Amino acid sequence: MADNNCEPTKWTEMKAPVDGGRDTYQTKSWNPPKEKWGPFTEKGTPEVWFSEANATNWTESMICKAKDLFYEAKLNQCFKKGDEVAIKIHYGEYNRTAILRPEYIAAIVEEVKACGGHPYVVNDTTLSYHTHNSMAISQYQLEGAIRHGYTDATFGCPVLIADGYAGEDDYRVDIPEGLIIKETYIGRAIAEADAMIVLAHARGHTITMYGGVLKQLGIGCQSKRGKYITHLAHWGDPHDAIGWPKFTDQCPGKACDFHKLCDNSCPRSAHRVFENGKRWYPERCRLCYSCQVTCGFSGHAGIAFEEMYFPNAMIAHADAALGALKCFERGKVGYINHAIDIVPECDCFPWAGLAVCPDVGLFAGKDLIAVEMATLDAIDAAPISPGSVADEKELKPGDDKFREINGFSPRITMAAGAKIGLGTMKYKLNNYEPILNQENAAKWQVRPNAKKPTTVRLRDTFYRHDLATEVMPFKRIEYDKDWVWNEWKKYDPFKGETAD
Amino acid sequence: MSEVVWIDNQRMTFDNSVAHKLRRLADTAEATRTLSEGMRVTLKVNVPEEGYDYSLRPNFIRTLADVAWKATQARPNICDGQRLVDYWKRSLGNAFMEVASRIGYSSETLGGHFVINGGFSGDEGDLFSCGDDSELGGVEVGTAVCRSDALWVLSQVTLNPLFGLSGALYNGGFDCLSGRARTRVLDGLNPYMFNGERPSLEAQAIFRRRALESHLAVRTALEGRIFYVNYIWDVTPQPAYYPYSETPLLDNLGFMASHDPVALDAATLALIREKLPDRSRLPETGFKAVIAEAEQLGLGRPDTERVHLS
Repeated sequence: MADNNCEPTKWTEMKAPVDGGRDTYQTKSWNPPKEKWGPFTEKGTPEVWFSEANATNWTESMICKAKDLFYEAKLNQCFKKGDEVAIKIHYGEYNRTAILRPEYIAAIVEEVKACGGHPYVVNDTTLSYHTHNSMAISQYQLEGAIRHGYTDATFGCPVLIADGYAGEDDYRVDIPEGLIIKETYIGRAIAEADAMIVLAHARGHTITMYGGVLKQLGIGCQSKRGKYITHLAHWGDPHDAIGWPKFTDQCPGKACDFHKLCDNSCPRSAHRVFENGKRWYPERCRLCYSCQVTCGFSGHAGIAFEEMYFPNAMIAHADAALGALKCFERGKVGYINHAIDIVPECDCFPWAGLAVCPDVGLFAGKDLIAVEMATLDAIDAAPISPGSVADEKELKPGDDKFREINGFSPRITMAAGAKIGLGTMKYKLNNYEPILNQENAAKWQVRPNAKKPTTVRLRDTFYRHDLATEVMPFKRIEYDKDWVWNEWKKYDPFKGETAD
Repeated sequence: MSEVVWIDNQRMTFDNSVAHKLRRLADTAEATRTLSEGMRVTLKVNVPEEGYDYSLRPNFIRTLADVAWKATQARPNICDGQRLVDYWKRSLGNAFMEVASRIGYSSETLGGHFVINGGFSGDEGDLFSCGDDSELGGVEVGTAVCRSDALWVLSQVTLNPLFGLSGALYNGGFDCLSGRARTRVLDGLNPYMFNGERPSLEAQAIFRRRALESHLAVRTALEGRIFYVNYIWDVTPQPAYYPYSETPLLDNLGFMASHDPVALDAATLALIREKLPDRSRLPETGFKAVIAEAEQLGLGRPDTERVHLS
């Protein structure tokens, strides 16, 4: 049996966390906030539009309802004709399946174009979240995006990495309003847009407990540098503060089957395995999560997070979201939460757990916090999906699902966000149900403005060339009514009894 | 003496098409001699400005991308930087990608990851020295180029109002820089001389010197692992970054390749001069002086051993 003693690391030898180039690099904000930035709701209760998951006819298709909500929530007024409109999504980790289907993104791109905007789809690179992460390198991230069906061809507009080829194409934004962090770095494809429509997959998150549109701004819009800041890297002393990974005495050292994977998890070689534990070099560490997540993914607890890390990280990412919002004039950012495939973990996980509840629907609005609160309340009210982690934990409808599943209430983030001006926690929910009529049935179809719908066009074709008649009569058995009514019952395990 | 391989566009047959010729060119010129499995290769190409109608066909690039892919077993990057100035007031990365898409340039068609050198803004780059004696000191090379293990410079040869000739020296040097660095190298020169007004010879000479020094920085960034191909195909009087072009100066002559950019551009110029039916269409560009200066800077040798394939 391995001796699990952890060898003392060198943190006590460090005089300061890091000697950086802060004083000579980017001494002032490169991208001063827009003069009229601010939360959309200045007074009163913001409205959020909701459309439930499920469909029984043309108009209720989730894609059609997404387009309807875009207009109902007046997201078309976030931009003017000719504006460059960033469509912010999460490209999803390689081998991830619970991500937004490309149709949802294409649908909104189509409407932005129809309104005269110039849309382009963006996501930033990430940090190295685990050894086999694909999203930290722009080339790998795009390979994954293509695999998910996120391409120029499927969306009908450019698909870009917002913070450049290397994740360093960014702007610094000051956030004096921040509760914890006072600056961030935003990918320039986002910071230089005239407007932004944020399309989020609403689901759980291991660090921030829940991820929706706020997460898209608070981490998704940050370049690599911005993500380090939001991770609270180097906040406090290395040996007992939350800005560092926590090396515990649970590491079995070389006895661990994953020790090579663990050693390789750090892009800065900040830790090495030894016989009975890990040796850590904090002066090299930047808190990218890679060692912690790799250890956790492999079912171990040798490298973990410091106590109280998570609620502070949640507040920090609300601060960072404000940095992204400050790149836009007030009202120039619109939000849609897709509460579909509501799995416990983030889209940066290379797998997907079972959904914790059935699909809920779509939420749209211009007040960031209001959209999030409406989404969270609806997810919490939803039934529990059998076999999911929510079921394992014996949760009930009405419980704060992501608090119970991931550890802390996502409402911490929302309250912090509301305090610094991201939005309003109260909301008025407008339930949108499309009306089934001829016009609405035609509205979002493949040729919405065509004078001839598909069947009428085919009528013209068949008039000239009737492809069925020319090979008739088809070869089949003689028609026998008794056979037709009874023969199939021989193949039916219920012997022809109809379901009630 | 540096070897330059030229494959002409004669004797086209079912097994000697343009794609076959490009593969033979890469093979004969030993394009992959510095590559090994797992290396990240970037192909620097010329993405034309909207309105320029003589850009290289995607399969001309894809054929060589496939060669690089085979040699490294890894998908190459294919990149270009944004335009020199905001001519159409649309210099953002999304507009660049839209223009590229219209001529059929995409990751799917080019056979590699099609990215913007320098990111969305064009300003993402790392600083590299141009040498102790240089006037520039150092310049920022775009990230898609400088973060690669090897670089293939695939140039559409055209005339160039500032540099004389767009070829290996220009495309593998000045054109690999970040937008900010290129602005500094230009130092106020207007690269769009639509009204025929040219800069003074003095200003032009300063720019050429700086552009060549930029090539030294790119070579430092790539530690010399650079291979050059000149497409002598639709040699237009205007470069691809112009928003229009007049008709090509001469018939297509094929493709040339070398590991030496000076030898390659010298051989390219000599071939164009040799084959040009109407010498009056070739203005005095002073490009011979550029080649001499490039040699003096140690970028290569102009005396070439030309291997002719057909």
